[in-house]
Amino acid sequence: MPNRALFLKLLSAAILFGAWEVAGRIPVSFAFPTFLESMRALFAMTLDGTIFTAYAETLKPLAIGVAISAVLGIAIGLWVGLSNTFDWLFSPIFIVMQAAPLAALIPLLVLAYGIGLTSKVLVVCIMAMPVIVLNTSGAVRNTPESFKEMGRSFLASETSIILRIIIPAASPVIFAGLRLGISAGFIGAILSELKITPTGVGDIITYSRSIADYPSMYAAIFSIILLAVLFLNLLEKIEVTLFKGNQRDYVSN
Amino acid sequence: MFRFLKAAAVAAMVLPATIGLTAGPAQAETIRIALAETPSDELAAFFVALDRAKANGLDYEWTAFSDEELAIQSVLSGQMDIGFGTPYAAMQRSKAPLRIIFQLSKLKFFPVTTKKYSSLEDLNGEPILLHSRGGGTDSIANVIEERVGITFGERSYVPGSSNRVAALLGGRADATIIDLSNKNKLMRSEAGGNFNVLEMFDVEASDEALFGNLNWIQENEEDVSIFVNALVSVWQDMAKDPTIIRRETNPDGPIGQLPAEILAELDGFYSDAVEGGLYDPNGGGRKAAMADMEWYSAAGQLEGSPDELNIEDFWYLAPLDAAMK
Repeated sequence: MPNRALFLKLLSAAILFGAWEVAGRIPVSFAFPTFLESMRALFAMTLDGTIFTAYAETLKPLAIGVAISAVLGIAIGLWVGLSNTFDWLFSPIFIVMQAAPLAALIPLLVLAYGIGLTSKVLVVCIMAMPVIVLNTSGAVRNTPESFKEMGRSFLASETSIILRIIIPAASPVIFAGLRLGISAGFIGAILSELKITPTGVGDIITYSRSIADYPSMYAAIFSIILLAVLFLNLLEKIEVTLFKGNQRDYVSN
Repeated sequence: MFRFLKAAAVAAMVLPATIGLTAGPAQAETIRIALAETPSDELAAFFVALDRAKANGLDYEWTAFSDEELAIQSVLSGQMDIGFGTPYAAMQRSKAPLRIIFQLSKLKFFPVTTKKYSSLEDLNGEPILLHSRGGGTDSIANVIEERVGITFGERSYVPGSSNRVAALLGGRADATIIDLSNKNKLMRSEAGGNFNVLEMFDVEASDEALFGNLNWIQENEEDVSIFVNALVSVWQDMAKDPTIIRRETNPDGPIGQLPAEILAELDGFYSDAVEGGLYDPNGGGRKAAMADMEWYSAAGQLEGSPDELNIEDFWYLAPLDAAMK
C-alpha cells in the first residue's frame, strides 16, 4: 500500500513537470522556460552557491516571523478560545489582519519600521499569524462539551482539562492552522523581498527577470515552493510524534 | 466525482479557447500601449504626442503596469502592442522578436552625495544606494566603476529616486544616484547645501524607449508611422519651447487630471529636462542604438562586444527614418 501512495505521488509530479516542460516547449510565452532549463539553472545556482547565500538572507525574516507567529499565534489562539473577554479583544485584530490587502499596506509598514529586517518579519507575521490564531481559537472553543464534563466528573483540575483534553482535541485543527499559516509565511517572506527591498531569493527573482534570465527566475520560485513543501512535511512528522491518533494522510507528505 | 469530471471537461474546453484568444495574431484596430508606470509629469510629453497622433487618426488605449518588466511581458505575450522600457536583455536572451522604434528619454542620472565626498574617485569602496539590481542606476554604477577605475562598496537597493532622496535626507545613506528632476528638487531645496552633485561623463544611452513586436510593427506600418511622426513633432517642438507640453496637455486626459501643483511644475520640469538633454529631438535612432549597444554591454545586460552586435536586431528604424525626412 505505501508503494502505491509513492507511485501516485511520483506520477502526479511527473504529470505536473511534464506539463511544464510541454508548456515551455510550445512555448506559451517567450518568457516561460521549460522545466529542464529551469532545473539546469537551479543546479547551476546550487553549484556556485548563489542559492545558499540567497537563502541565508531569506531565511532570516522567514524563520523569525514563522517562529513568532507559531508560538505567539498558538498562545493567543488558546487564550482567545478559552476566554470570551480576550475573544472580544483580539479576534477583530486578527480578522482585520487576515482581510487586509497587505501588498498595498507595505508602504505604511516601511514608513513605520524602515526597510530593514523588522518590516520583513512583520510582513511574514501578518501573513502567518491570523490563520494560526483563528484556527486555534476556533478549535479550542469547539472542544466537545461532553469531553470536558467527563474530565470534571473525574475531578480533573482546570490545567489538566486544558492540557489533557482541550489541546489534544483541538490539535488537528491547530496543526491545520499551522500548516496554512506557515505556507502564508513563505508567501509573506517572498512578498516582502519583492516589495520592500530585494534581498535573498526575492533578489534572484527580480534580478533574473530584469536581465531576462527566465530559467533562473523560475528556478528560484521552484526552490521556495520545494522548501515550503519539505517544511510542511516536517511539521506533519512533528504532529504525528506529538499527538498519536491524529494520523491521517495529507496530500503534502 | 461526476461533478468534478464535468468541471474538468468545461475547463478543458474553456482554457484553450481563452489561450487562443490572447495568443492570437494582434489584429488590433486600437493600438494597446503598455506604460511602465502610472501617468505622471514625466509622461506629459508622451501623452501630448498621443493626442497629436489621435488627431491624425490613431486610435489607442493605454494600461499602466506597476513596473517595466510587466510591460515587457505583456508585449512579449501579445496582450499589448507597444511597450515602455529598454528590453535589451529580453531581446537578446529570450529571442523574442521585439524592436525599439523610438527613444523617449536618456539615462540622465546624477551621483548625489553628502559633503563627505566631492568626486567619483572618493566613492572608491564606499557604500552606495541604487534603484534595483540589474536596473538603470545599477548599470550607471557599473560603468562608473569601469571608466573611473573605482569599485563601490556595498550596494543597497531602494526603488524610486524620491525614496533615495528621502534616505539621503534622513541620513540613512551618504551616496546615491538619482534622476534629473529629483536632483533639481533636492539641490534647489533648503537642504541642498548639504549635498554635492558629482561631476560625471555624458550618457547618450536610453532610459525609456518605445518597443513593439516586429511582426506587429510591420503589419501595422501605417499606425506606427502616425505615432512616430507625432512623437518626433512633439519632441522637436518641445526642444524649441518646453512650455508647449503644459499648453497642449488635454485637461480631461490622464495628465490634465493630475493635481494642480504637479501641473504648475510642468513648465519647470520640461525646461530643466530639455536643458539637461533628457530628450533627443531626433528620437534617438542610430546614435542612440549605438550608444545603447555600448552602454548595455558595459552594464552587463547585453552579451558580446558592442562592435559585433547588430543594431537591426534591436531597433526597427524605418518609421523614425521616414518621420525625420
